[in-house]
Amino acid sequence: MDAIEGEGRLDRPGHRLEQGLAFTENLLGVTRGRARGLLHGVWLGHPLHPLLTDVPIGSWTTALVLDLTGRRRAARTAVGVGLTGALAAAVTGLHDWQHTHDNARRVGLVHGTLNALALGLYGWSWWQRGRGRHLRGRLAALLGYPVIMVSGYLGGALTYNHRIGVDQTDRRLEPRRFTRVLAERDLADGRPHRALAGGVEVVLVRSDGRVHALEDACPHLGGPLSQGWLRDGSITCPWHGSAFELHSGESLNGPAVTPAPCFQTRVRDGWVEVRRAPRVVTAPPGSTLVHQQEVRP
Amino acid sequence: MRRRPEVLTEVREAPEREKATRVLVEHHEVLRGLMRRLLATPRSQPGRRRALADELFDELRMHEVIEEEIFYPAMRDVTPGIAAAWSEHRQLSDQLAALVRADPRTGRFDRELGVMHDALESHAHLDEEREMFPEIERFADEDLLVELGDRLRDRLERLRSSRRTRMVLRLQRALLRRTAR
Repeated sequence: MDAIEGEGRLDRPGHRLEQGLAFTENLLGVTRGRARGLLHGVWLGHPLHPLLTDVPIGSWTTALVLDLTGRRRAARTAVGVGLTGALAAAVTGLHDWQHTHDNARRVGLVHGTLNALALGLYGWSWWQRGRGRHLRGRLAALLGYPVIMVSGYLGGALTYNHRIGVDQTDRRLEPRRFTRVLAERDLADGRPHRALAGGVEVVLVRSDGRVHALEDACPHLGGPLSQGWLRDGSITCPWHGSAFELHSGESLNGPAVTPAPCFQTRVRDGWVEVRRAPRVVTAPPGSTLVHQQEVRP
Repeated sequence: MRRRPEVLTEVREAPEREKATRVLVEHHEVLRGLMRRLLATPRSQPGRRRALADELFDELRMHEVIEEEIFYPAMRDVTPGIAAAWSEHRQLSDQLAALVRADPRTGRFDRELGVMHDALESHAHLDEEREMFPEIERFADEDLLVELGDRLRDRLERLRSSRRTRMVLRLQRALLRRTAR
């Protein structure tokens, strides 16, 4: 694992591949289109790719069992279903991979290469089975299965160790009370401003006569939203281009699939004050906590 | 005897060797100049807008190439911000594609140009000039930076005069325009 992460020679082919991918996506209009968020899984609330990987793994495991019990036709169908799922997983996986950094990028490249190898083996297996050469078909599947297991392990490492696709925002609830962050006159119109609120970095934006506040670190990989740009009531992360709605923090296009945490804001005595807006109000009505959680402009 | 063709753009010979960061900042200025000229060109001159957008496309792509091939790999162990800078290049490429795909006679071109300006400033000024370059100048070996500066300038010159590079970039622009909706 460490050998892959530290292998700098993987960077050049990785960037070549990404540039090819970028050009293809721009040609197809994916980058600025609806397909972008769809493939990342913005509509789902978490990445789409891990869902799809279950299809080939499950189908090819089934095929292994069917091969052992001698059900030839059913085994071929299972291999075919797995191939379809693997192609869908490849598209979403590449789409997510292109927006990763350093070590995770290298692991992702090896993960993808192994998957391509397994896809080739199973594709050949399916073809050979169709021509009645079941022994060859079974052999290719037997070779492909361990490859997909190793690759699955690397995919897991990307999520659990490198936190790719994981919401990277601050889990604390600070600041719970309205906290002064910036003199109002220092907040220029239409330009993001970074400030510190109770140990949390927030980005303040004045737009349409309102002050909006989001957490400064992008939920995708922690990019500084305060260095991003504003368009049509949204702010775009300068690192990977995730756009967030200013008033709600909702992600509009990915690669960030979760919303940027939102803060309540008010202006008192010439100071901008912010307080964490809880995503869900859990306290029972009438309690002290609900008083803290309620929205008061 | 053949006469040499007349040179249209005057290329100033650099008087002395410069650090890589300095070379890159100078090239940022070239890009900013193009951006200013584009912003100052009204919608009524679509031909000039298109030509300037083409020039920005080529020049910015060459900037990305020299940084990615020479500067970033050498600085990987000096600053942790390299991966992010690489991602920002991707944002610039995407925005360049959006810009050349927009019709220069429309408001869409103006909008894409505005975003292009913000994205370029975010990368060149907010990230590199204000954060990354000062850090590099503090921690990296000065001789190394000067040597990298020579290599960057040399590579840029060769890219600019390379017929193959020009052709690839032209093909990319044509393909992007052809598929625009």
